[in-house]
Amino acid sequence: MASETFAQLVGLSTGVLLLSGVLLVWRRSLHAQVALLATQGVALAVLVLVLGLHESDAELLAVAALVLVLKAVVLPLILVRTVARLGVGVREETPVINTTASLIALSMLTMLAYLVSRPLLTLGDGPTTTAVPVGIALVLYGMLLLATRRHAVSQLLGFLVLDNGIATVAFLIAGGVPLVVELGVSLDVLLVVLILQVLTSRIRTEFGEADLDDLSELRD
Amino acid sequence: MTGVELGMTAQVVLAAAAVAAAVLVPPRLRNVVAGTFAAAVGASGVVTGAAALTDHSGSLELSTALPLTGVALDPTPLGGFVMLVAGAVGAVAAVFAIGYAHGPAASRTSWVALPAFLVSMQLVPAAADAVSFLLMWELMALASTVLVLTEHRDREEVRSAALWYAAMTHLSFGLLLLGFTVLAAEGGGTGFDAMSAVDPKSLQASIAFVLLIAGFATKAGAVPFHVWLPRAHPAAPSHVSAVMSAAMVKMGVYGALLVAFRLLPDGPAWWGFVVVALGAVSATYGILQASVTSDLKRLLAYSTTENIGLMFLALGTAMLLRSHDVSAPADAALVACLLLLTSHAAFKTALFLGAGAVLHATGERDLDRMGGLAARMPVTHVAFALGALGAAALPLSVGFVAEWTLLQSLIHGARPDDRLVAAMMPISVAVVALTAGLALLTFVKAYGIAFLARPRSSGAAGAREATPGMRAAMLVAAVAVIGLGLVPGPLADLAGRAAGVADPGSGAAVDLPGIAGGVLDPVAVTVVAALLAAPVGVVTLAAARRRRRRRVDLAWGCGGARISPRMQYTATSYAEPLARVFDDAVRPERDVVVTHYSESRYLVERVQFRQRLDEVVETRLYQPVLRAGDRVGAAARRLQNGSIHRYLGYSFVALVAVLVVVAL
Repeated sequence: MASETFAQLVGLSTGVLLLSGVLLVWRRSLHAQVALLATQGVALAVLVLVLGLHESDAELLAVAALVLVLKAVVLPLILVRTVARLGVGVREETPVINTTASLIALSMLTMLAYLVSRPLLTLGDGPTTTAVPVGIALVLYGMLLLATRRHAVSQLLGFLVLDNGIATVAFLIAGGVPLVVELGVSLDVLLVVLILQVLTSRIRTEFGEADLDDLSELRD
Repeated sequence: MTGVELGMTAQVVLAAAAVAAAVLVPPRLRNVVAGTFAAAVGASGVVTGAAALTDHSGSLELSTALPLTGVALDPTPLGGFVMLVAGAVGAVAAVFAIGYAHGPAASRTSWVALPAFLVSMQLVPAAADAVSFLLMWELMALASTVLVLTEHRDREEVRSAALWYAAMTHLSFGLLLLGFTVLAAEGGGTGFDAMSAVDPKSLQASIAFVLLIAGFATKAGAVPFHVWLPRAHPAAPSHVSAVMSAAMVKMGVYGALLVAFRLLPDGPAWWGFVVVALGAVSATYGILQASVTSDLKRLLAYSTTENIGLMFLALGTAMLLRSHDVSAPADAALVACLLLLTSHAAFKTALFLGAGAVLHATGERDLDRMGGLAARMPVTHVAFALGALGAAALPLSVGFVAEWTLLQSLIHGARPDDRLVAAMMPISVAVVALTAGLALLTFVKAYGIAFLARPRSSGAAGAREATPGMRAAMLVAAVAVIGLGLVPGPLADLAGRAAGVADPGSGAAVDLPGIAGGVLDPVAVTVVAALLAAPVGVVTLAAARRRRRRRVDLAWGCGGARISPRMQYTATSYAEPLARVFDDAVRPERDVVVTHYSESRYLVERVQFRQRLDEVVETRLYQPVLRAGDRVGAAARRLQNGSIHRYLGYSFVALVAVLVVVAL
């Protein structure tokens, strides 16, 4: 693959990753959020695919397929089922801080991500290195989602964004992790999501809502 | 392999065997087998200590016991002396425990903890660097905490006592850790030899000194760190109380000696003042509390505080006089400190084991419910009486020898050219005199109320003498009190060798070099006293023979006798004048409820008297500190309000903060 095309494709996929992250914070409808997560999964898979083609690494191609199946299909499907069970048009009604403030926070976090990854950027000036801040920004977005959203499914989304961020950084810096590790991590994420899904339905049957603020009794 | 090395290896091996025996032997034989091994651990401590004292050679390196540094054991003569005392106490207490331990005290856990406690305690004075010292120290604290907790199922107060003990012993450990860290940083190594290179006049040395002395005073039970003593001693089984009081708290004294004379010798004069003040306050306060309490083991615990106070007083005097180059009285004070240590170990073992035998036989710890035990438990009675003789520091006992030596050093230590020292010495003499007087009252009370007169409860009335093993253990301790008191010369020689001063013993007598008239020969004193008392005895006997035997009965008793044991003095009533005199310091809370007959207000149906003694240190110092701690804790709990978002927010904010710091 020509290096020009490679740079374009890496830029495109990481751009989609970042944009979908921002939109995830902006949108409050759970359906839209799940769709955005699926988009993010596709973008991540494309990134891995491009990397694999560039380095002609068969293992990375397999990882790309794995990422596509897991992050773009399986996990969104599970989430869609959960959301569907909760009812039509479920929204994150009252986040801890409102959308405008969240978006301002996002811009600050993005700046922070670029600031802290300056030492990394000096390692090289290829398109993969310059895109590393995107991964760090995604990690921060995920944590922001976790800390500010009340709905159990939103929490799950935040967790997955965080995981996507970590994966992005890993692929961009190290050209991915060995297949075995990737398999393990993927299974882990899948398991976490399944457990959280069950937990969400339990919370709903128990409290009628899936609002985590109801769970403040469990402390010493 | 030298004797010291062999002895230390034997201690570790025997302790391991004792632990294995406690785990493997069936309950029926556990007491005998595990107890024998535990006693052997103590005996090997005695042998090793004696070897280290006579020829100081041999060290043991257990390089695999701790990562990086290993454990280095290399007892000095002083360490050997303390190890000898601790080993002797441990051996006697273990023999006593064979007959005494029952119920939870005979459990596997308890028998595992006892040898671990003994061996770690005996190896504390052998440690050659701070890390080994602290390791042994913590093992000792841990094992003793387990032993204090022994009866936690049956008695509520045991749990709270163990909590207090654990908290205080950790305070001690924390202070020591800080102190040793300061010294190690300054001296460039954790070995005691490296630490002793620190300049004692530097600020760091003073900081380390204060931290270390506070830490050791906590373990020793000096005021105001004594609060765990009156709790832990009644809570623990008696053989454990005996070891804790007679041997373990001495490790605090050993630590103070280590700091004052090995790590930081020739420090500023104010160090000595601090230690003397600590000792004087502890001695007075301890014996005052002991004199008014009526719980036997609590009384013994407070008496421990008093004796620790005297030891610190002697130690501080030695430091003070050394810094003014008054060497002969300083040496005498140092020897007095070691003599006090030994005498306290001997008589406190006898007393605690005696208290254990009484508790075992009557189920009572309250003196007000004892009485008449002399006839029912003759051997225990003799052992306790001899122990009380030592505790009251009366002549013929080793306690007297120790206090006499201390007084000699105080009297000859007055230095007119330093006004502060000149004022300090007479005050110290007064403190020693006051404590001696109060100790006499206290132990007359403890012995008289418990063993004489008539039983005050059915438990005391049905008391039986202890088993032969227990009797033997008590008698050994009691014989030590009198034997060392009659022939104190060899003991004084050993103490002098441990302290590294000129021989203070000559034959059987104590002869303090450089002090005019500093000779004490108890045998001669006894003979002279007997000769002086002989005419009185002869006259009394002659008078008794001349007069016919008469029986006197109550004049208006209508032929009856004073039947009710409730008419006798009790411990509380005996101590009442004292409580009145020292009202401000003791602060007894009295409650008298008089119930009248409904027909007439002039006739009394019932009088109820209740007295509670709150500790001033506890109400004025500990409770405010604990309340403040509670308030801080409650405020800190607001951080954790149960909201998941807040918890996630904390980690998020922490991450962002770290990133911001990195980015800047």
